[in-house]
Amino acid sequence: MNDRLERTQIYDWHKEHGDVIPFAGWEMPVRYSSIKEEHMAVRDSCGIFDVSHMLRMRIEGPDSIDFLQTVTTNNVSKLKINGGQYSTCLNENGGTFDDLMLYRIGEEAFIWVTNAANGAKIWAHIQEQAKKFDVNVTDKTKEIAMIAVQGPNALALLSKMSEKDMGEFGRFTCNPITIAGYDTFLCRTGYTGEAGAEVLVLNCSFSDEGKTRAIGFWKELLNQGAEFGIKPCGLGARDSTRLEAGFVLYGHELDEETSPIEARIPYAVKFKVEPHYIGYDVVRSHKKEGVKKTRIGFVMIDRGIPREKYPILFNGVKIGMTTSGGLSPISNKGIGMGYVHPDTVNDGDIIEIDIKGRHRRAEITKWPFYDSEKYGETRTI
Amino acid sequence: MGDTEIKAELKYSAEHEWVKIEGDVAIIGITDHAQNALHEITFVEISEVGTVLEANGECGLVESMKASSDLFTPIGGEIIEVNTELEDAPEKINEDCYGEGWLFKIKPSNLEADLAALMDANAYKALIESE
Repeated sequence: MNDRLERTQIYDWHKEHGDVIPFAGWEMPVRYSSIKEEHMAVRDSCGIFDVSHMLRMRIEGPDSIDFLQTVTTNNVSKLKINGGQYSTCLNENGGTFDDLMLYRIGEEAFIWVTNAANGAKIWAHIQEQAKKFDVNVTDKTKEIAMIAVQGPNALALLSKMSEKDMGEFGRFTCNPITIAGYDTFLCRTGYTGEAGAEVLVLNCSFSDEGKTRAIGFWKELLNQGAEFGIKPCGLGARDSTRLEAGFVLYGHELDEETSPIEARIPYAVKFKVEPHYIGYDVVRSHKKEGVKKTRIGFVMIDRGIPREKYPILFNGVKIGMTTSGGLSPISNKGIGMGYVHPDTVNDGDIIEIDIKGRHRRAEITKWPFYDSEKYGETRTI
Repeated sequence: MGDTEIKAELKYSAEHEWVKIEGDVAIIGITDHAQNALHEITFVEISEVGTVLEANGECGLVESMKASSDLFTPIGGEIIEVNTELEDAPEKINEDCYGEGWLFKIKPSNLEADLAALMDANAYKALIESE
């Protein structure tokens, strides 16, 4: 590992306006104002996140579909040009190397976005597996900036900036468009539960020129988003919004000992695929014959904030461990996720979380942890 | 962190707590440096009134948006009052950590020895500058 921390193209702006911390080998902003304020900007209006620390690979070549189908679990051949899909990359035991977004930008060209913390591992895995195929894999992380624009006003802002109706672009699409004069791929995806996009801003190298360009786009979002009450958001709000939405985070709900079936992300896993991906047989048996552990979500009934690695009890017996937890800024209650033995508990059951020796009651619930009629992409109010 | 407030009249622990002696009672809170580092405090839990603790005994926790931190009492004795205002307004610790954001009061059992283990304002200033 290189000891020196990496900095995204937008680092200088973060350093000037926010609290910067080490994260997954990068110096990243944890907050600019307050995590709660940034969180609520995403829920009520619009927030932007610099996610340029994530590894972005371009995969190209005549074998690209077959290659990607051997290393990812969604159905790659069903992925249309200008479409995106959420997927996972597994080891031979069906454990998860990473979860990822795959975008198809041409007949034989894809972009794979992977977690920063897993960048080196995935890069090595892909390089090894790619040897058997006629594909070319290149690292585009330092050529493209990536900014998530999220919230109920995110699409209105992007429509204004691009002079295009974002209604034309459905969820999980990825289109080359010009936004405020910047060439981008507009990916209609995100990690907050809200409507919005992850924008790949092209031609943003790690040179002074590239940085100026990336910061220029970032400031343009803030300027044009001012009328919506837009806020720049750090990693703190990124974690709190994904937790409230009930999304898995690698290293917490996913790891090399956990399959996507155990993690209850079945939409990332398809079985009618050819060739079979690495880990296929194991996840198929998890699907057909059952799992040894399963992910749950819960909301605290008693006072207390759950965190990761707290014991979960049911009727006084330990049934599992938490993997994430925190305060929901919407409900002001503690929320969390964890793994338990399957068939021990159901939605509505009252469990106890052992918060540093204090047993506190919680109710098992579905995710997201907010009212989907009032918050999130499918809100109706 | 150049703006950290340190009060000359208080004693300090290495765990970033302050102690104020009023008569035969010790009032305990967390320092400006600590609340700054925690940021956005969302929840506080302190052991019940009547709990008897040794110095450095675990006596609760402070939750921020990012993390959970254990609390340790710098002074041994019996907890005689807990700041119940913090139940609904834990942000008072961020806003006024040396005033309305106090945590608990303790009836010391071994005050002189416990105080001797604490730092004065200058020593505490040196500690946080060295961190």
